[in-house]
Amino acid sequence: MRAWLSLASFLGGIVLLTSACATSEQWSEWRGHTTHFASGTHGVFSLRNNNDGSNPRVARTDVDAARSENWWGKAITVSPEQIFQN
Amino acid sequence: MSRYDRVARRGLPAALLLLGVCFVAQASAAPADALMPVEKYTTAKAKNLANAHRLRLLEFSEQIYNCMPWLFVYPGHLGFPRDKDRPGDDRYLSTWIYVDQREDPVFAALPRERRVSAMFSRYGVDMLRRMAALSDVVDDGDVAGLSVVLSWLKPGTSRPGQQPVNETFALFIDKATAAEFLAKRVGPDDFISRAKFNLFDGESLVGRVPLQVWEDSFNSTYKIANYEPPKGAQCQ
Repeated sequence: MRAWLSLASFLGGIVLLTSACATSEQWSEWRGHTTHFASGTHGVFSLRNNNDGSNPRVARTDVDAARSENWWGKAITVSPEQIFQN
Repeated sequence: MSRYDRVARRGLPAALLLLGVCFVAQASAAPADALMPVEKYTTAKAKNLANAHRLRLLEFSEQIYNCMPWLFVYPGHLGFPRDKDRPGDDRYLSTWIYVDQREDPVFAALPRERRVSAMFSRYGVDMLRRMAALSDVVDDGDVAGLSVVLSWLKPGTSRPGQQPVNETFALFIDKATAAEFLAKRVGPDDFISRAKFNLFDGESLVGRVPLQVWEDSFNSTYKIANYEPPKGAQCQ
């Protein structure tokens, strides 16, 4: 029984993950998202440098994290088919 | 506490962690993800190019990912597509870059044509230069030219409750003109007259806009303070 519940829980997590990815383009996180980069220029320019005067090192993973924290949904962008043919 | 509760308590954090991984994946992608999958090409010529130059394109993608984190190659859009409007099967070494730039009052105050010129001068020319440096790829007889596509946030469209809009500039140029321009043997005006380019406002075609190209070394000289590229990355 316990094994069955564990399996069901795991499969449920997979379904949740898959459905979340599949429908991500329909998400609307941008609604009400007020985050802005303090620098007003590039998102990665406002990483944690100098916040406490200690100048910590910034790794590539920090850039990904900062970008995802400030990601507010898929922007309206031209489709590749309007530019290219494969 | 029932067995079900215990399992649920273990399963929920795991599911949330997986969801978080999925969410982060929307905003970041590994260098290999930038390459257009071979199976998506529709002609043998393109598939051969993709197979022959895969490692070089992967190196190129890694350099952008590791050394220019303010840029983001759209997944699947580094490769050898053809121009939609051009008959035949001319293949272009092409990369589609998103410039990670947020609202900026100075940039927002520029007229649209000036924004395009600024973005192409700053990022497009440098990308052309970097692609042209892949000499074994560009010298392949099946590569007709270079293409760079730039997208950036259209000023004033990231307000709360409003879906942001990207402006996208797509340019194609034959490789002889690209080489001459980068070597400064062809001036900006001739380069512009020989290039095929369009601007898109969101999903809408704006068309060919007045373009100016000037020197801008930002992309090749800028360093993020305290940024440490991953070990083994060679940034230049």
